[in-house]
Amino acid sequence: MMRRYGDLAGLMLYALLLAIAALFALVPIVVSIVISFDDRTFIGPFPPSEFSLRWYGEFLSDSYYHEGLKVSLLVSGIATAVSTTAGVMAAVALDRFQFPGRNVIQALLVSPLVIPTVVIGFAMLMFASRLGIIDGLPRLIMGHIIITLPYVVRTTLASLTGIRPTLYEAAISLGATPLQALWEVVLPLARTGIFAGAIFAFVMSFDEVAVSLFLSDPFTYTLPVALLAQMRADLNFTVAAVSVIFLLFTILLIWVIERLVGLDRLVGQGIYRG
Amino acid sequence: MRQRTLAAGLLSPAFAIFAVLMAGPLAILIDESLKPFVSGRIGGDDAGGLTLSHYGELMDPAYALYFADTFRLGLIVTLVGVLLGYPVAYLIARQAGPRLRSALIAGLIGMLFLSLIVRVYAIMMTFGPIGPLSGIGGLVGIEINSRAGTEMMVVLGLLHTVFPLVALTLVGTVQNLNPRLEDAALSLGAPRWRAFLAVTLPLSVPGMLSAGILGYAFCISNFVVPLILGKGFVLFVSNLIYFRFSEVNNYPSGAAISVIMILISMILFYGLMRLVRTRWQETGR
Repeated sequence: MMRRYGDLAGLMLYALLLAIAALFALVPIVVSIVISFDDRTFIGPFPPSEFSLRWYGEFLSDSYYHEGLKVSLLVSGIATAVSTTAGVMAAVALDRFQFPGRNVIQALLVSPLVIPTVVIGFAMLMFASRLGIIDGLPRLIMGHIIITLPYVVRTTLASLTGIRPTLYEAAISLGATPLQALWEVVLPLARTGIFAGAIFAFVMSFDEVAVSLFLSDPFTYTLPVALLAQMRADLNFTVAAVSVIFLLFTILLIWVIERLVGLDRLVGQGIYRG
Repeated sequence: MRQRTLAAGLLSPAFAIFAVLMAGPLAILIDESLKPFVSGRIGGDDAGGLTLSHYGELMDPAYALYFADTFRLGLIVTLVGVLLGYPVAYLIARQAGPRLRSALIAGLIGMLFLSLIVRVYAIMMTFGPIGPLSGIGGLVGIEINSRAGTEMMVVLGLLHTVFPLVALTLVGTVQNLNPRLEDAALSLGAPRWRAFLAVTLPLSVPGMLSAGILGYAFCISNFVVPLILGKGFVLFVSNLIYFRFSEVNNYPSGAAISVIMILISMILFYGLMRLVRTRWQETGR
């Protein structure tokens, strides 16, 4: 009898926690989606009674957001290109060659992940001003390169460890120079991992707020900074419309990652399965 | 020898980026934190010599309060995150079929990737004064328009990231526990709940600690969630740095707080995390 009650109580607690987790994960998302179609011009109680696409129109026609989106795409695009190039080169060297100080260099390249982004933004602002850089765009790009580099290095390293070193050695023994062997054998094999790393870097950069807030200037600001300012100044449903657009991109992103690397591989099956 | 040259060549761009864009700003930050503050001047005084006074000021109770709020709310979020994340991880690792497993993992990764702005807005609209779940605080005696209500909003905002982060980390932990250990306890006559509490849960502790440290580090360095959901009543240390810069122009003080933040985060990642990993690495495998 004792055993039955104990098991039942345990099971109920388990189910309750799962239900709370599911509700907590889903309800806010559903609420955002619903209110993005709200027809009211003021923030009123949930649920809305009339629906329209007004807030999507508002977002699409507002040049304040266009400007932010343009800067965001430019900054994230350049930062991702630079950090992917440098990061992949570094990861290849760290993975294929043995040399003194290898672990130290690897730890250093990943270390910006550990530093709070507010601190990176603030330090970069002072650094840029001492160098005489007062334009928003170069500052933003500098800040975004350093926050994306660790992601690229880490993801590329992870994808390189799956490639057998014998393939590289075979290319060398067939007469390829080390550079040729890397370029023609190792890199094509690591392609998907590199691509995933670049996507990851782009997303992290695109969503970054703290660093961008410090490094923006009144005319050069990223989309998240524009949205943040909107939320602090005058709360309306435009942000909900943007949220739904972002949400669609997140779903697309998950789909792409699933196709490229497989989500299961990201988490791993563990040692007692399959 | 040729390999060394090639390795050096391949590493040089990343190393140059690190040296200029990370080491440079950090050196400036430390330098700035040691300069005297002159009111009305942007940046510290170059001629005034070096001082540790900005670090001394942080001992002041007014500052200690920001640190206390940050650490306390971060801890609450982490505990709730582990409490909610563990059952989900257990479900994924032990019970879900391949379909449900993929769907749950996709959902958690999607939740983790979701824009912070979207998240903060969604929490505000759901649990805020006019949201459909606004009354939820009432269940535990929290009034939404009080300070406790604001703290709850910040906690919920942070939890929306910490929960998927912790759950995904714990999937790895639970997967690597040998399921036969729990089976053995069952076959020896233990009821299921006791087998879980006495075998599986204790073996999961190191994983819970690592996941908790990860979540905690995210919380205490977060900036956007307290900025928006804290409505000026609940401020984290990161917000303090921003206000030192944007409102009072006291760069040296902001720099000193930043240096302290870096130290705390180093201790969490390189100290605590390493300690957990080395002490418990092989348990339960």
